[in-house]
Amino acid sequence: MMLHIKLRVLSGAAALGLALAQPAAAADTLKIGVPVGLSGANSVVAPSVVQAAELAVSEINAGGGVLSKQLELVVADDGSGAQGAQKAFDSLVFQKEVDVLISMETSAARNAGLPIVNRGKVPYIYTSFYEGRSCSPWMYVNAWVPEQQVAPIVDHFMSSEGAKSFFLIGSDYAFGRGMLEFTKKYIETKGGTVLGEEYLPMDGTDWTAIISKLKAAGPDAIITSTAGGAPNVTLTKQLRAAGVSIPYGNLAVDEGTARGMGADAAGIYISASYITGIDSEENKKFLAAMEKHFGGDLKTPNDLSVPQYEAVYLYKAAVEKAGSADPEKVIAALDEVSFKGPRGEISMNKQRHAPLTMYLAQVQADGSVKLINSFKDVDPGEQCPNL
Amino acid sequence: MSVLILDIVTTAAILFTVATGLMIILGVMKLINFAHGAFLTIGGYAAYITTLAGWSPWLAIPFAALVGLVLGLVVEIFIVRPLYSRPLDAILATWGLGIIIGQLITIAFGREVQFAEPPVSGAVEFLGLSYSTYRLLLVMVALIVGAGLTGLLYFTRFGLNARAVIMNEDLARGLGIDSTKVRLATFGLGAALASMAGALITPLISVDPNLGLPWLVNSFMLVLTSGVSIPGLLIVSLLLGGAQVVVSTYLSPIIGGLTIVVLAALILRIRPQGIGWGGS
Repeated sequence: MMLHIKLRVLSGAAALGLALAQPAAAADTLKIGVPVGLSGANSVVAPSVVQAAELAVSEINAGGGVLSKQLELVVADDGSGAQGAQKAFDSLVFQKEVDVLISMETSAARNAGLPIVNRGKVPYIYTSFYEGRSCSPWMYVNAWVPEQQVAPIVDHFMSSEGAKSFFLIGSDYAFGRGMLEFTKKYIETKGGTVLGEEYLPMDGTDWTAIISKLKAAGPDAIITSTAGGAPNVTLTKQLRAAGVSIPYGNLAVDEGTARGMGADAAGIYISASYITGIDSEENKKFLAAMEKHFGGDLKTPNDLSVPQYEAVYLYKAAVEKAGSADPEKVIAALDEVSFKGPRGEISMNKQRHAPLTMYLAQVQADGSVKLINSFKDVDPGEQCPNL
Repeated sequence: MSVLILDIVTTAAILFTVATGLMIILGVMKLINFAHGAFLTIGGYAAYITTLAGWSPWLAIPFAALVGLVLGLVVEIFIVRPLYSRPLDAILATWGLGIIIGQLITIAFGREVQFAEPPVSGAVEFLGLSYSTYRLLLVMVALIVGAGLTGLLYFTRFGLNARAVIMNEDLARGLGIDSTKVRLATFGLGAALASMAGALITPLISVDPNLGLPWLVNSFMLVLTSGVSIPGLLIVSLLLGGAQVVVSTYLSPIIGGLTIVVLAALILRIRPQGIGWGGS
């Protein structure tokens, strides 16, 4: 027993020695902190995000790194919420002393992490679509905001389906309400009318009354923005069970979930900056590389994981342009660089946000996602006018 | 207006079906089964397995009941029975069991949402309205379950024994009724009903490890206010479920979600024994 304990102490000391030895080698690496929701609400999608970051890092390292420094990923679980995010950001910024933070997160986690980012003065690239208007001198965003995502669906419903009246249904939280409030304004400026706007709590499962109101209102089209996962599925199932077959735009469903939903999802319109079916050289190369790198463990690339992949390359470009990993120089350079990735040419030059090509797609009866239309370089609009 | 009535009746039918398993166990065993939500979840996954195996979606219902029955019997023998004389600990044990079942399901199937094939889909013309076929079907199911349970309790030897145990367990044992067997059968039946209800609601909800959780609280409230009787449960399902639909329709669905809990608390404040006649 004594021996056992001694051995443990020894191995502990050895580990400590290794840890102490690391900073000497660290001069030759750039650390990328990835706080991400490996547990909690984001746990379904987080593994695909980590995979995308891993591929980018291994590609860049194989090509000689950044300014002849190797990249190193440091992943931390933020539990998909504010409390976990504080711990994750704290340990990444102040203990691991990462050079940059690149991650997809819930809005709650991002808001909790930002003060720590500002205090630690670390560049932060946020790679998740969100409700918009989150601004910090240290943050850039390369994913969509409502201004970019809502327009393709509403425009298509109005022009191609002849829809004039809409009904909006969502989950009662920041993203759900934020998206639908914007959607309502957008529909009204385009001359349409909103017949109803209804919400259910995030854990609610009974949409009965809302669906009856929808049927009584008799709109031309319906747009929903629920929390991902369960609420999205319960609403879609109950809409279909109630025989609702008007054009249906879903702001919160991803390609993978739509595929899994089977016949109930058929006909749903989705709007995204990435779908796997994008017909470009970069996307095909990316999908093949993912397949080769992860084989059977591959998580299907999606609208959250691809921005993560591209953000690592954007950081590389910024460091190379700045000529160093100095945080202030990198922040200045991030505004000017661009990267041609699976989603096309990405540049975060519009008030810390990126103009994006948006894709309108429709789920088919066999579960595949058919591209209906693409809208090139949709502007994010006024996001952070003071930065 | 007629849509509102259909919404109320179908909502009540769903609530009734979901709560019966909990009520049977509480009535006979004086045990609040906090694993009820987990048994609902198991039913959902039984439906998912039915889809995976390529069986007819109708088979999900008996299959879920069978899985629930077997599991209920095992749980009764190994977890509930040793705690007969410690009712509070038994309740805690079912709480823990619920957590364990949830975690085992997560390990086996993952956290993500799964999809089970529904037996029917779409809407049907009913009283001049287009209404969800499946919800109408659930009203039939609720009536069958209610009638079946009433028959079981009032027209069979098991029912007679069970009612004897409900009224006075010591006296029933003195008369030669094997109350251990009655308890075993009751827990198995309750778990089977819960699991079957889980399979029955899957066409309307998503199958995930937390499927049963939102239903547990409402079931609990309904059973307490029902006074633990089948007609009582039918009435409170209509009353409280109806109130939920009315509040959701005319006020706000967010407040609607609280209606059952708030009203149940009010009813219990005025009539601690619930509205029914069956309770002691």
